[in-house]
Parts: sequence; structure tokens; C-alpha cells
Amino acid sequence: MSDIELHSNEDDRIVHGLRALYAAPAGDGYWNELEARIMARVADVELEWWSELDRWVRPAMAAAAVLILAAGVAMFRAHEVESEIAADNMLSSPTVPVATAVRPALQDDRDAVLRFLFGHK
Amino acid sequence: MDAAPVIDLPRPAPMSSPVEGGGAGGAKGRPDERALVIAAQRGNSDSFAALVRVHERRAYAVCRAIVVTHEDAEDAVQEGFLHAFKALDRFLPDQPFGAWLYRIMANASLDLVRRRKVRDADELPETLAMPFRDPGESDELRRRLTESLTKLTDRQRSVIVLHDVEGFTHGEIGGMLGIPEGTARSDLHHARAALRKMLKDVRSDL
Repeated sequence: MSDIELHSNEDDRIVHGLRALYAAPAGDGYWNELEARIMARVADVELEWWSELDRWVRPAMAAAAVLILAAGVAMFRAHEVESEIAADNMLSSPTVPVATAVRPALQDDRDAVLRFLFGHK
Repeated sequence: MDAAPVIDLPRPAPMSSPVEGGGAGGAKGRPDERALVIAAQRGNSDSFAALVRVHERRAYAVCRAIVVTHEDAEDAVQEGFLHAFKALDRFLPDQPFGAWLYRIMANASLDLVRRRKVRDADELPETLAMPFRDPGESDELRRRLTESLTKLTDRQRSVIVLHDVEGFTHGEIGGMLGIPEGTARSDLHHARAALRKMLKDVRSDL
């Protein structure tokens, strides 16, 4: 069936009847009211989100406080341990023998000088 | 709902909203739709209200073509806008908002139809038999047309209304109903043929 046939006068009458049956409500008042109803439902959804968020705020705050406290204690303990280790290291460090080392070559030279001097007295 | 639809023969209009693709300020001083969408995505409810204002009539027409009653169409429009609001952050503002929105409307309507599939067919004439105020038309045609529409499949009825009443293209209808364009074309052909056959004797009297 071609489109030319479909748009015969008889089909136009059916289309006209369909348009009448499916006519949208006229008047801005109706559409303003529908818009208001839609936006009221949207606001309800937004409110639900906030309520849901609000429901989680208290436990989340408590959990955050516990975490912060735990982190603080851990940091304090770590600092304390570091200080202890540093102090222990200072107190228990072995005494390093200070050897007055003289180079053998210098020693020999000095002896030779001394022998020379005392030998000529 | 108390608001009884009044005869207001709608002219088929293109699917795209007049504001779509408009530059800043839009044609006729309307705000750019893309800007409205972005603002709505950022939580500006006034912008979403503006989008509702621009699209509610067309959205209603899409829903009305798919559901059985005016009341269901209202419910579907509200559900559709609610879905759109919730899914707004997933919408890419560079896409045509109207096409995206009307697909959501169609889905909301199809969901409603599925939920109310068991509704008594007797309710259909009650709603479709709205006051037929065009004195040039026949009450007999209205009555028979209403009756004939109930004998079409849901999809055929949706397709013929979306095409012949609302002026959507086959491709647009396919996109909305989730069917290939060829199927929409075929449904339209069969719906028209069925209506012609069922209204043959009525039309000959007019």
C-alpha cells in the first residue's frame, strides 16, 4: 500500500479521528500543574537522598572519630618507639678505642733523629 | 485525574525540541538547552524545571500513544521525568536531550503497560471516549475507532499514534520503542490496514 493511498481523504478522516481521541489537554493551567507535580516528586527524591545521607552521617562520624583516634595513638606510639631506640643507641654505643697511630715510616724517622741527637752528646 | 482532555488537534512536530542545538540564549530568548542540562546535572532544580516545561507536552504525547488512558499517561510522564532526573548524571550533554528523554518516557510507559496488562478492557472506551467536540466528526466514527484501536496490538497502536498523530518518524519511533525502523514501518502499515478494514463501512457513511 503506498503512502499516496494512505493519505486519501478517508485515511485523513481516520487520522483526524485519532488526533481527536489522543488530543493533549489544552490550557497552560494543566501543564503548569503537571510541571508542579513532577517537580514535587523530584524534590521528594532529593529529600530521600538527603535523608539517606543523614542516616549515614552519625555512624560515619563515629567511624571517622575512631579512625582519627587510632591513627593518633599509632603515631604517638611510633614516635615513642623511635625516641627509645635513639636513646638506647646513644647509651649503649660501644667505646671506640682511640688509637694514636703513627705511621711506621714517621716512627723510623723520629727514632733516627733521636738516635742522631743522643748519639752525638 | 480531573482534568479532562479537551480537543486540541496537535500538529505533528519534529522530535527535536526547538531549543535543542540552540546557541547561547537560544532562538526566541530561550535558554540554551545544553546549558540547562549541565546546570541541572550540577543540581540546579530550576534548570530541571525549565527542561520539564519545555518537554512535558511532547513527553505526554509519547506516553499517551503507548499507554491506554490519559491517567496512565500522566503517571508515565511523572515516572519518566523522575527516571530522567535520577539518570541525568549519565546523560552526555552533547547528545540530543529530547531523544534521550522520549526514550525514557517510552520505557516508563511500556513498564506501566506491562504492569497493567490485566486491566479490564472495558475501561478503555471510558477513557478514549472523551468528549468529541468537533461537530464535523461523526460519533459513530469515534465509537468505532475507539473500538477498533482496542483490537490492534499495543505496539501497532503506539506506532500509528506516534506517527500519524504526533508526527514522529519511523526511525524515532523505532528508537523509542526499541524496535528496528523497518518493524515500526511494518507495524504502521498493518495498523492502518486493520483500521481501514474495521472502519470501512463507517467511513463510507461519512
